[in-house]
Amino acid sequence: MIKKVLIANRGEIALRIIRTCREMGIATVAVYSTADRDSLPVKFADEAVCIGPPPSAKSYLHIPSIIAAAEVTGADAVHPGYGFLSENAEFARICDDHDLTFIGPKPDTIARMGDKSVAKETMVAAGVPVVPGSDGAVADVKEGLAAARQAGFPVMIKASAGGGGRGMRMARDESEFEKLFVAASTEATNAFGDGRLYIEKFVEEPRHIEIQLVGDGQGTVVHFGERECSIQRRHQKLLEEAPSPIVDPDLRQRMGEAAIAGALAVDYRGAGTVEFLVDKNRDFYFMEMNTRIQVEHPVTEEVTDTDLIEWQLRVAEGEKITSGNHLPEGWSIECRINAEDPFRNFSPSPGTITAFHSPKGRGVRCDTHVFAGYTVPPTYDSMIAKLIVSETTRDRAITKMLRALDEFIIEGVKTTVPFHQQLLQDDRFRAGDFDTKFLERFELTPPA
Amino acid sequence: MDLDKIQRLLEIVADSGMAEVKVEEDDFRLTVRAMPKVDASAVPPAPIVMTAPAAAPAPAPASPAAPAPSAPPASASAEPGSGAGESLALAPIVGTFYEAPSPDSDAFVKVGDRVEVGQTLCIIEAMKLMNEVPAEESGTIKQVLVQNGSPVEYDQPLFVIEK
Repeated sequence: MIKKVLIANRGEIALRIIRTCREMGIATVAVYSTADRDSLPVKFADEAVCIGPPPSAKSYLHIPSIIAAAEVTGADAVHPGYGFLSENAEFARICDDHDLTFIGPKPDTIARMGDKSVAKETMVAAGVPVVPGSDGAVADVKEGLAAARQAGFPVMIKASAGGGGRGMRMARDESEFEKLFVAASTEATNAFGDGRLYIEKFVEEPRHIEIQLVGDGQGTVVHFGERECSIQRRHQKLLEEAPSPIVDPDLRQRMGEAAIAGALAVDYRGAGTVEFLVDKNRDFYFMEMNTRIQVEHPVTEEVTDTDLIEWQLRVAEGEKITSGNHLPEGWSIECRINAEDPFRNFSPSPGTITAFHSPKGRGVRCDTHVFAGYTVPPTYDSMIAKLIVSETTRDRAITKMLRALDEFIIEGVKTTVPFHQQLLQDDRFRAGDFDTKFLERFELTPPA
Repeated sequence: MDLDKIQRLLEIVADSGMAEVKVEEDDFRLTVRAMPKVDASAVPPAPIVMTAPAAAPAPAPASPAAPAPSAPPASASAEPGSGAGESLALAPIVGTFYEAPSPDSDAFVKVGDRVEVGQTLCIIEAMKLMNEVPAEESGTIKQVLVQNGSPVEYDQPLFVIEK
């Protein structure tokens, strides 16, 4: 049994973990950098240890300091939260070596899922659908065209060494393939000194939908339904909901079973998320697996009436899962409130919060570590709160979220509250008609 | 905890030179913090002293813990490193403090010793690694603030050095 957990993280997730630990009678140790000396996790944990200066590399990412803090406080387990060391296989292995229970998957699982090509191979072997395409780089135009035909047009031609959209073309049909292939290869050679290309099916109107699961590492993995995460800006999620407006019970079952098959293939232990792209035909393709708790886990907790941090702790203690899958009831939405100015291209807005009032009332949950007088440090990420509502239907949840956002008072820093207020009133959003490109076209109305 | 006990606690903190003490009971929480009376640039904020591992934590209290009463500065004169020409040697890493290279050896330094820049003051063990802590300023050891074998955190004052 776990007696004392060291939380190798900061901010709202550290607080979130402390809360569940207290309810379970487990003692907590907060570690903090000098920038977080006056933070709430430091106040609410049973013990707190300063582990270094503000830069993460010297504190929250500095493994020797975290292990030393666990040793001097007698902690017997480490919860990595999300970000920082949560998907660092080496850290998980060092915890094992020091007889600390790492609250997460086995080091080998983290390593396998962290390597994109290994993860993809593992999923293919387990029968999980992946985006069709060539097996790595193609030798020439002829081989490329064959791969494109097999995947089905339209296809993306992508540079093996690529990034940032260079050496990338979309071919709608066979007639334009050769011309675009040559152009992409030339561009890739000029940009990266490497003209090799690979072919991938173009996923039309892709939505980012992910399956939450928990495995006990003893042959059982169960899922908790899906989260809709298509509302993102530059791959940063801003609003998540559960369930997804486009997932019906049949699709949920198929995606859930695929995710479980993938997790069972690595004898998964802990909470994890399998991310899928879902296209306009509701075909789904594996993207990646996150081997940790996620920022947006509360929407799943709300619609399945579960505590996912408690599940993490229980399976880490070796408890076997005896329940079945957990299907959603009702609707939950989360808005990420970041200290960013949505009217200035979401530029960070660190500073001191001079006034703070969080929304309250039935069905409203606000996971936050900030308070009036708190200074948002420029060193870490800009999320200052997660506002979560739950209701019986999506329409009612949207109405409730708008009410809650109206109550939110945050002064001293700019926040994403006005962005969410406009998004939630957008007709297409309200109709559930959006994909991962939605925010590229979404125009904010500047404040009067 | 009654007022007499709090008063006694304040005296203990003042006499010990500790920077901060936390007391926690089922429905009660108290933090006593000594306020250094020196120019802010020279001294780091008061660190939190790690307490002995607590027994099983209280179940989530029905009512929030009483807010810690703000304690007056425990004692200005007892504050380490507050005198003119004095500086503090701080822990560069979290770990366990050792005053000597082995249990049978003499301490690296003791009160009254003259130290030079770069000279080893103590060892802090982190992850089985013995990290030697060198003096960053030369002077005379005026006070050792930490007991042999006790845990220290980052930035915690270890020695008072008189220039």
